[in-house]
Amino acid sequence: MPVPMSRRFPPWIIIAVAAVTAAAFGVYVGQRDPGTQDGADGSALLAVSLPDASGKQQSLGQWKGKVLVVNFWATWCGPCREEMPEFVRAQTEFGGRGLQFVGIAVDQQDKVLQFVEEIGLNYPALIGGYGAMELSRTFGNKLMALPFTVIVDRSGRVVHTQLGPLRAEKLRSIVTQLL
Amino acid sequence: MLPLAATAQLDLLEPERAFEFSARAMDDRTLEARFAIAKGYYLYRDKLKFSVEPVALAGSPRLPPGKLKVDEFFGEVETYRGTVVVRLPLANAAPGRAVVLHAESQGCADVGVCYPPQAQKITLGLPARAGPPGELIEAAPVRKSWFN
Repeated sequence: MPVPMSRRFPPWIIIAVAAVTAAAFGVYVGQRDPGTQDGADGSALLAVSLPDASGKQQSLGQWKGKVLVVNFWATWCGPCREEMPEFVRAQTEFGGRGLQFVGIAVDQQDKVLQFVEEIGLNYPALIGGYGAMELSRTFGNKLMALPFTVIVDRSGRVVHTQLGPLRAEKLRSIVTQLL
Repeated sequence: MLPLAATAQLDLLEPERAFEFSARAMDDRTLEARFAIAKGYYLYRDKLKFSVEPVALAGSPRLPPGKLKVDEFFGEVETYRGTVVVRLPLANAAPGRAVVLHAESQGCADVGVCYPPQAQKITLGLPARAGPPGELIEAAPVRKSWFN
């Protein structure tokens, strides 16, 4: 028997996903491949609000005006964990110039917290579930695989999406042009 | 518009194609589960889980050893490539009955992408006592599984 959506997902994620889906369809009709969404409206992403690893609700809108790198990841995803130390370095190096990383973990809170402490994550790790995967799909992550990264410029425009590891050189070449 | 280079498209398989799950009944109290893993993909041994209903498994299945992979954070983890075959003894013989085998698996592609955990199930008819083994049956379309 189908489970009502409200029982499977908390209300905030339903609202967030609906908002993002609606916004995404306003710009594009149909599915787009990762890496081909330059210019997509990222404002729906900025409207998302999720709890962080300590349970505090965080809205992505608080970083509006910054160059935002939103990384969907999980502790069960080896390639995700491998690329994160580079994100930590980039946050340290470019944070003062307006770069903001935000991780959205498709994972459980305790596992995220443990990993965050282990690598000394210096940017917010928000906790998502299936809804976060759906959210990434609206930005082109058709297979809902990880890692998946969305880069939004200061005006809220999606300038890059990436399925799979975002190499250090590529990350730097993109963000330095945006800062 | 930024002069961004076009992103190289990752040619990835759907998870149920990358990790093809099938099973058969060997006799009236033994199942055999099988994952055919596509080249360039791997499954995590410790993420592979099986359960059967209404007849339960006779304890935890003995999974074959995997290939050791050093994970920077989790230490040594075992992975499977190619074909994995797992024998699943049931707690009781149930000749002629239908059982549902549930499998949960999680794997990645060498290109640096991981799939979320997948839950799949196969309904199998157990053969009569001393009857011939059942045919290999492929899993029904996948439904995404979430642990939180």
